[in-house]
Amino acid sequence: MGFTAPAAAAQGPVMGLGRFATFVFSVLSAIVSGRWSPRETLRQASTITTRCFLPVNVTIFPFGAVMGLQGMRILDLFSAHHLVSSLLAQFIVQELGPVLAAVLVAAQGGSSFAAELGTMRIKEEIDATEVMAVDPIGWHVAPRILAMALVVPLLTVVANAFGLAGGWTVAVGLYDQSHGVFMAHLVEIIGLYDLSCSALKGLFFGVLIGGIATYRGFTARGGAEGVGRAVNDTVVLSVVLILVFNYLLSSLLYGGAA
Amino acid sequence: MTDTMVLFLRRVGAYGLFFVDCMRSSWRHGVRWQRVMEQAESLGVRAFPVLAIMAIFVGTNLAIQGFGAFRSLGAQHLLGMFVALAGVREVCPLLAGTMVAAKGGTEMTAQLAVMRTKEQIDALEVMAVDPRAELVTPSLLAILIVLPALTIIGIALSIFSALVVAVLQLHVDVGQFVAFCFEYIEMRDLVAALVKSLAFGAVIATVSGYFGFFSERGPAGVGRATNRAVVVMCIVCVCINFILSAVFYG
Repeated sequence: MGFTAPAAAAQGPVMGLGRFATFVFSVLSAIVSGRWSPRETLRQASTITTRCFLPVNVTIFPFGAVMGLQGMRILDLFSAHHLVSSLLAQFIVQELGPVLAAVLVAAQGGSSFAAELGTMRIKEEIDATEVMAVDPIGWHVAPRILAMALVVPLLTVVANAFGLAGGWTVAVGLYDQSHGVFMAHLVEIIGLYDLSCSALKGLFFGVLIGGIATYRGFTARGGAEGVGRAVNDTVVLSVVLILVFNYLLSSLLYGGAA
Repeated sequence: MTDTMVLFLRRVGAYGLFFVDCMRSSWRHGVRWQRVMEQAESLGVRAFPVLAIMAIFVGTNLAIQGFGAFRSLGAQHLLGMFVALAGVREVCPLLAGTMVAAKGGTEMTAQLAVMRTKEQIDALEVMAVDPRAELVTPSLLAILIVLPALTIIGIALSIFSALVVAVLQLHVDVGQFVAFCFEYIEMRDLVAALVKSLAFGAVIATVSGYFGFFSERGPAGVGRATNRAVVVMCIVCVCINFILSAVFYG
């Protein structure tokens, strides 16, 4: 009796993990064997882009401006405020761009994916697709994940540009730094390598959001309340995992250990 | 274009009137402190675990990036100062604000929108109970109580996790980190952080209340109201953050 209780308690999470692994495996096999719809992928990609483009950029612009403001003050301690664009570039391209884009896409696109798939599951539309011999994974799930993998890196690149524009507005517009100095220190520290790392983070976060959102939606149960729970879980879980993996990726890509 | 501008201005005006109505009705009917405490518990205690995890991992990344930035100046011993200034002044108030907006705010919007859909808000009005004083004001006060507390906890956790990463992963001296951390943080910065979190709290509570209160009926309306509320709250919080930073440190 004393041994069965912990075993039963461990059963739930372990079985959940197993179900998730099965889900991932079936999605991967659908993608690899080409059983997914490119047209649906593009449609989903354009939906997320139109929904997330404005929020991401409107949020990151003032963020970049604040960093410009604070960076000026910190660098004033070394009388090195000409370096503000290097500081901005490093923080926005390496951290803020990918993370902010991913978090907002999770809140907007991920939640709507979970809600759509959850509603389809509750209304038995997914079972209907299966009955019609259409693979629901290839038709509903894989395109959404691929769309996320496509859109999040692109949004990350655009967000980087908008964040830097925010910093530029403060440094050049408010503090009368020369445009040439700003740009020179910017391109000095940011190369193609950093931009690809940034997009790579975006790609990783995109797959993460897509996987969590579709899995939660696909396995939703328990009526409208269950759909609500799936949506909420998706947002919280993806935001937390984005931050956790961001730490690991940053340690991996940018050295960390001296 | 002009149509959307007019619509936008009308929305802003409606929000302003809603805000004033909330204040006036709670002034007239008094505050139900028991509901305030219930809301504070459900908003604060349930947001806490997620906030704690997020604050910890934001701190770790502040340390890694700050180390990279200051190493190029040959000043990696200043990492403590950087983490403390960035965490206290900017990151933690915003982090706690967006967290409460994403969890508590959306929940509030969804709840009010469902009540609107099920005509429960109309029912309250029929019973001569002011729905704003009953439903919106307690959440507003609860968020104003909870958010500064969450901000302070977030600051403590993120600085601590940055310390752990700095010492164990980046091999920065503990004493140096702690010394520079406390040398550059002033009471002023903490007060500014608290003022910021109060401003965010007021925005979150009233915006999520507004979108829920005036949502379209039906499940699609509930979804749309929740979605719009989150986006508007995030954008307004970030903009207010810029203005307050410019006022305090500009």
